[in-house]
Amino acid sequence: MRAAGHFFRNAGRFSHSGPKSSWTWKNRFSANNNPAVRWVWSTLFWLPTFTVFTQVGCTIRAVTGDSMQPTLNPDPSRPRDVALFNRWSIVMKRRYERGDVVAFRSPQEHGKLLVKRLVALPGDKVKTLPPYSDVEVVVPEGHGWLEGDASFNSEDSNHFGPVPLALIDSKLTYVVWPPKRLGAITSHTIGTQSERVVALPLS
Amino acid sequence: MASNVFRRLRPPAIGALHAVNAFCAFHLFLNYVGSIQLVNGPSMLPTMAVDGEAVIENRLSFWLNPGCLERGDLVTFESPLTPGYLVCKRLLGLPGDIICVDPTGLKVPSSEHVVVPKGHLWLMGDNADFSRDSRDYGPVPLSLVRGTLWARVYPFRHMTIFRNPTSFLV
Repeated sequence: MRAAGHFFRNAGRFSHSGPKSSWTWKNRFSANNNPAVRWVWSTLFWLPTFTVFTQVGCTIRAVTGDSMQPTLNPDPSRPRDVALFNRWSIVMKRRYERGDVVAFRSPQEHGKLLVKRLVALPGDKVKTLPPYSDVEVVVPEGHGWLEGDASFNSEDSNHFGPVPLALIDSKLTYVVWPPKRLGAITSHTIGTQSERVVALPLS
Repeated sequence: MASNVFRRLRPPAIGALHAVNAFCAFHLFLNYVGSIQLVNGPSMLPTMAVDGEAVIENRLSFWLNPGCLERGDLVTFESPLTPGYLVCKRLLGLPGDIICVDPTGLKVPSSEHVVVPKGHLWLMGDNADFSRDSRDYGPVPLSLVRGTLWARVYPFRHMTIFRNPTSFLV
């Protein structure tokens, strides 16, 4: 019991000056004396702060797939770019802008995250690409039109239509790995994306 | 001198970090396990009043097992029209179901039917006259769903556990 009380009083403390005692099995595996155990407990103790930071601040993740070439994964032999996912501007600020590269939860498959470029916002008129049934769509309220930069091999809004903005999870702001291409991801539509979008005029 | 300042500031700094950590843990509990939510709006009228009611939202079940939803459940989800706005409707159709878009014929002719696509749900308010739901924005992606409503806790006189009212004709 004493060990448990000790853990709750000392878990996560930065000071590592536990009570001095002789070696026993109990001390060997109690939270305060074994550095490894102490490190694990301390990590678990501070886990909520880390988790919330990644949920509302930012996180670093690898991106797979070639639908965002040439912006991400341009080199087929290195198909795992690592990028900084900025959640703050989406989750807290709700800032959606045309041209942003964003990660969003797939509208078709629960639990899957996709990375595409936000091409059109609510009210915009978009000329769609082949797989889509209509030639032209007006993006409905609260939705966005998302396309891969390599639109010919990308499963995007041209397949499943406008996507609710609420599904957007974060904005990709920097490439972190490989170091050769380290730098900001530009928020510009590329190729024919901007030509096919008539933006809703600001009223 | 400087080390003295640090020695003095250290305990309150660690105390503040502990407070932040506790706040984060609480936030995660509300996000992944459940919380008490105030409901307002006329869209669920016979089931829930226009305002002044508090309900317990269960997020744990859906988070651990997204397949736990059944037709007739009260589902909370982020509105496809307004990002960040949580709404509650009743689950009418699961993926693969054929749904009559609007039996009342208010918004579209009552002869129109759709098949709920894979990974989507058909959600509708109990008060069809005053509800913006799947009839307006179509099937809702499962990724927008947050949880289910479990019970009403306020007003105390009307405390109830929400039972699934669905019965099937075989």
